[in-house]
Amino acid sequence: MIELKGISKSFPGVKSLDGVSFEARAGEIHALLGENGAGKSTLIKVMAGAYTPDEGTICFDGQERMWSNPRQAKDAGIHVIYQELLLFPELSVAENLYVGRPPRGIARLIDRKAMLRGAEAVLARLGHHLDPRARVKDLSVADRQMVEIGKALIGETKLLVLDEPTAVISGREADLLFERMETLRAAGVCLIYVSHRLEEIFRVANRVTVLKDGRHVATCPIAEVTRDSLVTMMVGRSLQDIFPAKPRPAASATPVLSVRDLRMAPKVRQVSFDLLPGEILGIAGLVGAGRSEVAHAIFGASTRDSGTVILDGLLHDRPTPRVSIDAGLGFLTEDRKGEGLLMLLDTAANISAPTLKGFVTSGFIDRDAEIQAARDEIGRFRIAVPGPTSGVSALSGGNQQKILFARWTRACRKVLILDEPTRGVDVGAKVEIYRIIRELADAGIGVIVISSELPEVVGLATRVLVMREGIVTGELSGEDISETAIMRLATADMADLAATAAA
Amino acid sequence: MTTITEPVSVTSPTDLARRIALPAVLVVLIGIATALQPSFMSGSNIQDILTQAAPLGMVVLGQTLVILVRGLDLSVASLMATVAVLATAFNATSNAMIPVIFVAAMVLSAMVGLASGLLITRRNVSPFLATLAMMIVLQGLRFAYTHGAPAGSLPPGFRTLGTGQFFGIPIDLCAFALLFGVLGLMMHRSALGRQIYIVGGNPRAADLVGIRSDRITILCYVLSSMLAGLGGLFLVGYVGTVDNFVGRGYELDSIIAAVVGGVALSGGRGTLAGAVTGALILVVMFNIVIILGLPIQAQLVIRGTIIIAAAALFARNARGA
Amino acid sequence: MASAAIPRRRVRIDLAIATVVGLLIVVLGFGATVSDRFATTANLLTVAEQAAALGFVAIGQTLAVLVGGIDLSVGAMVTAANVFVASFVHGSDVLMIPGLVAVLVLGAAIGLVNGIVTVRTGVHPLIVTLGTASILNGLVLLYTLQPTGKVPAWFEDFAYDTAFGLPIAGLVFLIAAAIVALVLARTGFGRAVYAVGGNYEAARLAGLPAERVTLMVYAASGFFAALAGAYYVSRTGTGDPRVGDPMTLASITPVVVGGTQLGGGKGGILGTVLGVLLISLVNNLLNYMNVSTFIQWVVQGLIIITAVSLFVNRGKRL
Repeated sequence: MIELKGISKSFPGVKSLDGVSFEARAGEIHALLGENGAGKSTLIKVMAGAYTPDEGTICFDGQERMWSNPRQAKDAGIHVIYQELLLFPELSVAENLYVGRPPRGIARLIDRKAMLRGAEAVLARLGHHLDPRARVKDLSVADRQMVEIGKALIGETKLLVLDEPTAVISGREADLLFERMETLRAAGVCLIYVSHRLEEIFRVANRVTVLKDGRHVATCPIAEVTRDSLVTMMVGRSLQDIFPAKPRPAASATPVLSVRDLRMAPKVRQVSFDLLPGEILGIAGLVGAGRSEVAHAIFGASTRDSGTVILDGLLHDRPTPRVSIDAGLGFLTEDRKGEGLLMLLDTAANISAPTLKGFVTSGFIDRDAEIQAARDEIGRFRIAVPGPTSGVSALSGGNQQKILFARWTRACRKVLILDEPTRGVDVGAKVEIYRIIRELADAGIGVIVISSELPEVVGLATRVLVMREGIVTGELSGEDISETAIMRLATADMADLAATAAA
Repeated sequence: MTTITEPVSVTSPTDLARRIALPAVLVVLIGIATALQPSFMSGSNIQDILTQAAPLGMVVLGQTLVILVRGLDLSVASLMATVAVLATAFNATSNAMIPVIFVAAMVLSAMVGLASGLLITRRNVSPFLATLAMMIVLQGLRFAYTHGAPAGSLPPGFRTLGTGQFFGIPIDLCAFALLFGVLGLMMHRSALGRQIYIVGGNPRAADLVGIRSDRITILCYVLSSMLAGLGGLFLVGYVGTVDNFVGRGYELDSIIAAVVGGVALSGGRGTLAGAVTGALILVVMFNIVIILGLPIQAQLVIRGTIIIAAAALFARNARGA
Repeated sequence: MASAAIPRRRVRIDLAIATVVGLLIVVLGFGATVSDRFATTANLLTVAEQAAALGFVAIGQTLAVLVGGIDLSVGAMVTAANVFVASFVHGSDVLMIPGLVAVLVLGAAIGLVNGIVTVRTGVHPLIVTLGTASILNGLVLLYTLQPTGKVPAWFEDFAYDTAFGLPIAGLVFLIAAAIVALVLARTGFGRAVYAVGGNYEAARLAGLPAERVTLMVYAASGFFAALAGAYYVSRTGTGDPRVGDPMTLASITPVVVGGTQLGGGKGGILGTVLGVLLISLVNNLLNYMNVSTFIQWVVQGLIIITAVSLFVNRGKRL
């Protein structure tokens, strides 16, 4: 269906793609793998017409093409679903589905009725009961993704590219997604699937291509590869143990964090748990279960409605982030680019941000001390950055995350809440981050890991809380922790739970 | 070892180019002016120019703070005039009243800044609209109070403040230099300055690291208003008379100066020194217009061209500064 | 999965529109008690006629704001158009129509320049249009400091003419507003305006002609400002280099009060039209109450504050 030969693309200072050749066929799901910076998104943008390659040819559907803008690629039948979901929140579902090519009636005015009918049809095909008039901004993330897929169905899509679609959904919603993909594949569409989650690749893909450092490494049928061989191809070294051994916190220790009856409308209905120092507590659940909201409520980023939080023996009441930080509680947010990193400041400033007061003597910031502290952290976490005063915006996801780890471990020595700590982080960096988490636990810090990546939760946590729709549906520890057990609790029937609770 | 003028934000090659370009442009302009009028660089001429520019400089300092936290302050000119009217309302003739007038002016300015800041942070009103509304309200109140023609008197000391000298240096320039020095120190060496840059760069992230971005933003508006108030008082001292239009155009000029000086409207990027250099560039350009004997209106054309050219030069990529 | 029948039409009442309508009713009611001449058709017609110029400019401004920008050059554009028409025509019957056509083309062209500079250099439209405004103002003032030029008498009457009992100017305004509203709601271009305003990059990646749409919107804004300027010539009979001074900021008030948010992608013409009516009515009412112009300014400022602080906005730049 599509064949790229010898594609090269450079940007100021970096050669993103170096003579990459890639082909994908109609009626297959072709996975695209590689570490961050390997060139996957550049390749996709070249296919989609958003970038023009410096060298190389594109052959699509039997014809040699060269797009000069995304519109041409779209018209030819290529549709890309980006991770950032390019939807217009203020417009309705139907309007989003038809963006750019609405059905026209008299005098070339938009035919609203036809648009609604078409939207209904597409949504029905997807098996989704969305109101085509609903504003996209009112939809959940999973529903928005459905709209994106719907966009692909509206036009005659021959090539569909999905860029990390399961980064924001999980469990049953991911299953639905895979079903849709399979339907499309059977209908002859060529699907290119980019993901960091190897278990998904094995589940859906027919073939897989690995990119590394802007070059094509290999393309193989899925049956011929194993997890290990894929990782080796991506990273260049073999990884036996991704997860370090789990810590063994002293069971008799007093909890460093106690949460009772936490309530915060609308997402958190009733949450209680304890956290021991030195343990890694995983919080799993489907997207929308309320896990991040629990973290926000404890940390003080949002105001809780009711509930008691006791931090290291002291009542942690109506906290603001400042109060939490001073009390030893840190929070590494989900969205590191939007809510975590300070893109306009350098590495040292990013690391010192919550603990700035500690660098102030007689009213002024001791810049030298700040830089030295950053240097220490860079060494300790092995952050690949030119120096303590260089910028953070151009760093890879893994390195950016490490900077945030450095920030929070400096700031908080009691409890650390990590929300999706390896999202958008490549395999090599993931391993290092898992090691860091283990070290934190060993140092006596209570670590909470909120994650939608089940293997991660299973691999890291000594104990797992599973949440669904704002309540804790169950707790697993030790040998009981498994992906199946977690999924069962994450999708537990709410009526059943209510019944057992009442009993 | 950091200096006062070194910005805390990251230096990219474009930033470096910019940092050199700005003073270079200023030097070139001064060169042109001197070529046209050899007496331009004479002591007395420089003094005149700087004395006249000092009030604008004060406003520019405040505007820069506000722009750094992703805002705009359109009310500064109106506030200057209102402060001027307030000063005359005391009908004071004795210089002993000057401190009282100053205090009153600062209180009024602070209140206006507080109101703007609250509207922007608590009610999520866009800074453009909030300060625009403030400007209009102040204008209305001012005109209504004076019935279109201000009366009242100012203590003679004001003229000295505006035009007098302190060991050979104009007093208002001294005041400006003091303010510039203090604020510069604050921005580049103190925690508060760092926090302003953090809030401007990413308010949400600032909240999550324990910085009260609301308070910092409000503080910037209060400072901007107070600086505008000071500017108004000194300007009145310089001009010698009060009308309802004191400081007219200063809101746009201060924004232009900041943008020319590399302060990004998107927040978190830019320095006071840059903005002040931008202001100097504007001032020299206007003087060139006068030297060339062009009508005053030509300044408008020049002003417009400068702002577009400078902003275009400093734009980073297509779509958004 | 059972397919749903087309759901019942839920009429979504826009909070902003509702507020403006509510305020309109309040003002009308209040005005009726203050003076019995206020709520008469004659007076309302006068208001509609006075509102026309502001209305034209506000239409253009709505477009600029919807696409995520702003046009601060409208006031200068009004002035420039005003002076241009009066000077160019200079009383000649023959030159009147060509003069009008020329000024509209000029307005669109200058607006286009605004758009080109904004898109090509990436400078914020706030700055670009401020610059253009300054340049235009300067050029006009260099040309003349006093009102100048004149137009044939029949054109002067035009502004005060009525058709079907309604002032022509008011009619033209409403028709123009209706056309623009139709374009926004029902054409691909209109949809693209909302999309670009909502998320420029997403619009581009979705294959929409984001750049072209932006250029056309600014050209339209310039066009409408020129139209307002030409209309003013009809009202005053001469070209006044100060006429457009208050127009820039005045054009923003009804747009914002009517619910179109400064971030772009949300709002519409209906709100602006209502906003224009509201502002004009309030001014008219205050005149009846013999409130000084100065207090009117205060009221205008308070209206802005009230209208925008009633609904918490998405925090977007500007």
